[in-house]
Amino acid sequence: MLYLKDVTIKRGLKTVFYNWSAKIENSKVTIISGKNGVGKSTLLRAIAGMIPIEKGIVKNYNNEIFKDQIKWGQHLIYIDSKNGLSKDLTVFENLKTWSEMRGWKTSDDDLQKALNSVEMLNHKNLYISQCSEGLKKRAALSRLYLSLLFDTEFWLLDEPTNELDQKSIILFNKLIQRFLENKGTVLLACHELKLFDFNYALLNLDLLKK
Amino acid sequence: MFDWLANPNRFNRITEKIQPCILFITIITLISGLYFGLFDSPKDYQQGDAVRIMYVHVPSAWLASFLYFSLAISCVFYLVWKHPLADLVSSSIAPIGALFSVLTLVTGSLWGKPMWGTWWVWDARLTSMLVLFFFYLGYILLSNAFERKIDGSKTASVLAIVGLINLPIVKFSVDWWHTLHQPASIIKIGGPSIDDKMLLPLILMIFALSFFSLYMIILNVKTKLIEKKCEALLLKSNLEEISKTG
Amino acid sequence: MSLQSSFIQIFISHIKREFLINFRSLVDVTSIISFMILIVTLFVLGIGPFEEKLRLISNAIFWIGLILAIIPSLEKTLQRDYENGWLDQAITSPTPMELVLLSKSLAYWLIVIIPLLISLPLFIVLLNINLKLIPWLLISILVGGLSISLIGIIGSALTLGAKRGNILLPILIIPLIIPILIFGIGISEAVRINESPLNNLFLLIGFTLIYLVISPFISAFLIRIAISR
Repeated sequence: MLYLKDVTIKRGLKTVFYNWSAKIENSKVTIISGKNGVGKSTLLRAIAGMIPIEKGIVKNYNNEIFKDQIKWGQHLIYIDSKNGLSKDLTVFENLKTWSEMRGWKTSDDDLQKALNSVEMLNHKNLYISQCSEGLKKRAALSRLYLSLLFDTEFWLLDEPTNELDQKSIILFNKLIQRFLENKGTVLLACHELKLFDFNYALLNLDLLKK
Repeated sequence: MFDWLANPNRFNRITEKIQPCILFITIITLISGLYFGLFDSPKDYQQGDAVRIMYVHVPSAWLASFLYFSLAISCVFYLVWKHPLADLVSSSIAPIGALFSVLTLVTGSLWGKPMWGTWWVWDARLTSMLVLFFFYLGYILLSNAFERKIDGSKTASVLAIVGLINLPIVKFSVDWWHTLHQPASIIKIGGPSIDDKMLLPLILMIFALSFFSLYMIILNVKTKLIEKKCEALLLKSNLEEISKTG
Repeated sequence: MSLQSSFIQIFISHIKREFLINFRSLVDVTSIISFMILIVTLFVLGIGPFEEKLRLISNAIFWIGLILAIIPSLEKTLQRDYENGWLDQAITSPTPMELVLLSKSLAYWLIVIIPLLISLPLFIVLLNINLKLIPWLLISILVGGLSISLIGIIGSALTLGAKRGNILLPILIIPLIIPILIFGIGISEAVRINESPLNNLFLLIGFTLIYLVISPFISAFLIRIAISR
């Protein structure tokens, strides 16, 4: 259980969350929904440790997660609309450098399987600067497959389905199914709920913040 | 003590009381300092009347350095304890410190004309002061370079602290450079030995300018506090209007 | 965990990544060298074709050219990875940001230094630099270049997301770099007048060591501020 207790989160001088509490079940998918600007991305970035939490605590099984940012980093994957891909590198090189940055020892075989899981293997030598938005998103999502091989507990995904076509969404669903089998927890910010064929809990910020 | 003072209301209440005292001390020391400096102190045997520029130049140089030090300390307070008042203090110090470094450069240049024959000589102290001015300038520019004020404050505070580490090295390296290239001794303002009669106005002027800058900094912080209050009120009234119409 | 690599391996993989990015396009690398040649040309055009004058200030021209040529490419070092979200990935990874930044500045140092060392013979010819100076010049470029990139990464982190950051960066950086220029030229000058350049070299190394320690922490702090926006 990821437990946020009385958190206050600010962006600049604007208080986005004030003394706010929420519980997120482990080994499940939780979809964060709400209007634009209600703070979906802010919440995800705060849980990922990018936006400091001014007050309150965030606990994962009684461990305060921000006490040890490095350890928390081991357990989570964060992907948002910026993807984090360098445009001067190919799809394959991006995945490889990314996994090396996390300190994972992956064989080229694993990397290729990861690319295959999002059907990017044919495009593996394409430079990111030549990719369409959909391909970039898929290249970013290939990290999710790779994280299945290591003990990752959380996926924090900000609008992962925005640029994906129908077929890629099916692949994405498959990845999530596999992660759930591994007892992983998914936190997902999204507008459209019809796209997913798995059970999910809904965290509607429009209702919960009042 | 800082934490205790950091409450804006308390700050206002206390400064309300001490501000007139500071102004009074400033005026007294300034008048007496100027009197002794201009009329009741000896000419320098080498520099003549030009030595009297020292009574403005040396205090300004001293204050420019001291104010940078306080700026950086206040930035540490801001980054560590995150109190907004510390940021107001550092952003109030910056223009005054910059002013004194400019004053030092200008008076140095004015003094240089009769002494060295040119308006500007790349003397070690003047060069360090020029660099100090650019640290102030960098702080001011960077704190205004972001869309949101708070981002600028945080980033510029880090710069000020880096500057605090770097400035002594710059000072040392410039002195080093100077001895390397110009071993011959030249006349400096407030040279090695100072007459006792010169010391009195010098000390008085240091006091005068220090209290003057303290007064200005308090005034600056107060203005910024009022500005902040106005912004908050404006934001509130806007929000009320929106909620009425919407 | 056997699956985890050590910090050294992470460090090396970072440097590899930077090399891949920078040496693939070669635009940055060639522009640094051409920019430096142009600065030297401007200087020589400015002082006129007098060998005497050139001999006096060739060391200064070399160092100023070096600093000015490096500065424009500094802004990009972090800006690119900030905009494409790679820094977000780095901060949500188990690798400390300080390590990422230390490897980034070392990678940047190598990327800048290697082409400059390759083109050093050219500058020796162009500026008529004395041959006995060359070993000292090599050392001082290596050490000075390292401190410039360590300070540069701070500057780059300071201007992340700033308006007109490209203009602001030199104003913030140059005052910090002054000691490097002084000690660097001090080394060359000492050799020119047949004195031992060792004390200048030690000062330069000391200065670099200070920044080697503080620069990763300061820039990591700044990047956390930039990312939390």
